[in-house]
Amino acid sequence: MKTTLKSWVWSVRNFFSGIKSKLHLKVNLPTGLKAWVYLAPALILLAIFTFYPILNAFRLVIYQGYQLIRDTDGRLVESITGYTVFGNFIRVLSADNFILPSSHTNSSVLLNTLAIVFISVPISIISSLFVAATLNSIKPLKSFFQTIYFLPYITNTLAIGLVFAYMFKSGESGIVNQFFMIFGIDPVSWIERGATYWRAMTVLIAFGVWDGMAFKIMVFMSGMQGIDQQYYQAAAIDATPKRRIFTRITVPMISPMIFYIVVTSIIGAFKTYSSVVAIFGDSATPDGANFNLKTIVFHIYDYIYSGENISLAAAGSLFLFAIILMLTLLQMYIGKKRVHY
Amino acid sequence: MNKEQVKHIKKFENIIHGIDLVFFLAYVGLFAYLFGFIQVPNMPPEVETIYEYVIFGMNINTPILNTWMSYLAMFIIVTFPLLFINFRKTQNREYYEYNRWVAGNLFAGGIISLLVLNPISAVLKIYLSRRILLESEKFGFKKAAVLLGHGFVNMFKKKPVDPDEAEGELKEVIRKQTMKTFIRVFFSYFFLSVVALLIFIPFYWMILTALKTYYESNLTNTPRFFIALSEMQWMNFKYVVTEIDFGIYIKNTLTVGLWATAGTLVTTVLAAFAFARLEFKGRDAIFSVLLMTMMIPGELYILTNYLTVSQAGIGWIGGPTGTNQYYLAMIVPFLTSVFYIFFLRQTFKQIPDTLYKAAKVDGSSDLKYLARVMIPIAGPTIFTITILNVIGSWNAFIWPRLITSVGDVNEGRGYWLISAALRDADFTTGGTNPRVMFNLQIAASAIVTIPLIIVFLLLRKYIMSGVGRSGTKG
Repeated sequence: MKTTLKSWVWSVRNFFSGIKSKLHLKVNLPTGLKAWVYLAPALILLAIFTFYPILNAFRLVIYQGYQLIRDTDGRLVESITGYTVFGNFIRVLSADNFILPSSHTNSSVLLNTLAIVFISVPISIISSLFVAATLNSIKPLKSFFQTIYFLPYITNTLAIGLVFAYMFKSGESGIVNQFFMIFGIDPVSWIERGATYWRAMTVLIAFGVWDGMAFKIMVFMSGMQGIDQQYYQAAAIDATPKRRIFTRITVPMISPMIFYIVVTSIIGAFKTYSSVVAIFGDSATPDGANFNLKTIVFHIYDYIYSGENISLAAAGSLFLFAIILMLTLLQMYIGKKRVHY
Repeated sequence: MNKEQVKHIKKFENIIHGIDLVFFLAYVGLFAYLFGFIQVPNMPPEVETIYEYVIFGMNINTPILNTWMSYLAMFIIVTFPLLFINFRKTQNREYYEYNRWVAGNLFAGGIISLLVLNPISAVLKIYLSRRILLESEKFGFKKAAVLLGHGFVNMFKKKPVDPDEAEGELKEVIRKQTMKTFIRVFFSYFFLSVVALLIFIPFYWMILTALKTYYESNLTNTPRFFIALSEMQWMNFKYVVTEIDFGIYIKNTLTVGLWATAGTLVTTVLAAFAFARLEFKGRDAIFSVLLMTMMIPGELYILTNYLTVSQAGIGWIGGPTGTNQYYLAMIVPFLTSVFYIFFLRQTFKQIPDTLYKAAKVDGSSDLKYLARVMIPIAGPTIFTITILNVIGSWNAFIWPRLITSVGDVNEGRGYWLISAALRDADFTTGGTNPRVMFNLQIAASAIVTIPLIIVFLLLRKYIMSGVGRSGTKG
């Protein structure tokens, strides 16, 4: 049975290759040209959806009053009222609530982002470092714990964001409030009507830490496994306390990873968007509150969704790109200097 | 044990796996069959409705049906990973590895089979464990039980103390050190367990809430941490899939995800091959330009791509109802990926160049060499890319949501992907004073999350190796 099938496949194949050779379909391209044929599908797609958008952003940002309007044939055409060099950047930076809180809102995009950068990022990095170090020191159940810790990474942000919103429900029905009631603390409103800024921010930070630890733990673990055991053996001979081993050997040796994680986490904090939408909805505001929890990227998406201020969205994303570029160059510069010894 | 015996035993084991598989499929089939019976009430139910069903000629009501389905769900959760692990173990076990531990594992497996109402596997597993014991250790269950008892007693027996006085001081030091080590290990595990618990609580709360009634999830002030099997509302899932249209959204997501993944594989494999093997002018320059684009934030692309696919460009979306190509707009921009080209090129580069030259000497074409040599060797990497891309499409939120929010919202609704649907679908009770029905919303979250967890647990190795190189999410 097997051999019959095989011979049948071969005969079919020979039949087709016979046709092919009769029709002289075999073309021999020079290698250089052939390479371009192989590259073509990817490069065409990248040209349309990656390279062109980058150039186009620089084009859009110099327009004033950019709009798409229908002409007499019903086709959409671009219309502008003038050109400007920094005008759109200035408009983004001076927009209400971008840098400083305005009269009617007690929060600003930049302050929100900085709160995440300076609270969520350090907490998640330090706790991941401790978890990774502890995890690295045990043998049984190691892969079990590793699997559990990695779970948040592959989950859907929206799905778990909704679960977090439900866990932080106000009143006695929320599980977090129930937990605090054990210690005699009265239930409060976290994300609904009556929430204060820092309570709402706490929920966002809790989600950020929960969601972000998986990747950090994994990177730190792989860094720690790469440390030469000789350092630890030398420390053991000198009867060095564990705390000193951690601060003097482990942390310095994985400092490139720590620095990489710091930079990517800061970039990630600027890009916080899905979790805010999941927990607080599109307004990023608890009911009736006079603050919002929008981040820089959230601000850019507001421009895109409104559909009118395309130039401002371009300016905002170029501004973000500049920040990311600076952080990345900083990382490359310090990474090259080998921070650990 | 000799190889001949092991061959027999392996055959026997595979028969058991077959029976286990049949039972597993039976559980799944029965679960689906019962799921089909569930009647969906009007939401929100004024009072908790208890329906009467006639299934297999028996009169049962909602709590009994819930209990049955809960048991079946438990059976499925227990048997599937065991089947998977046992099958892999059987394939990888060498003949000298058959010993009392294998027999013990099989015996435990037999007990579990008995608990999941699978007597055939149970009897066969216990019989096989005895046979392995007899053939490898030359004794039966009786002596095994005695040995087990001895081991258990020895664990609690104090070791005889050496009465040498001179060593007393040293012993004291050693005892103190052991004590210290013990305390440290204890706290390590305690700390890790607490963190694991914190990580796991949202998942537990999600699954529990997804199975609660509307009243318990929304209105009660004393949420319970455990609910009885008969109270598990499997109806919630059915309501979400049929009435809130998650069936459609899942279908949309899979369609977009599979097409995008297939396209990505083709374009990235071809491009990575060109970058890794073919010599052409400007290769390194183009490659470094590609790498640089990885740094650019996605918002910059989304802005222009949105204009490109809308009426201002190609015109896939934003037109009058019925003329829009939502699928194309969601798939085409994601048909390639710079990161995967980079990832694959690294793998391709590790394949020795001599293989390529040998194939050239034999007159094989580049495409044939790629298909017959490179792709099989780089198989694990390609598999990793496939999984990561499917997971990424499953979680895609920003772009699909933007696309389906343009133009006719009611038409766009039919093309929602699950993430957008989780946020935007109507989970409220409706009426003048709508309230979110959390049990349904969280059930939808569970429907989205559980497949991801299953895929992760099965393919952990591939996913983690890929993520390790990929940098941040999103």
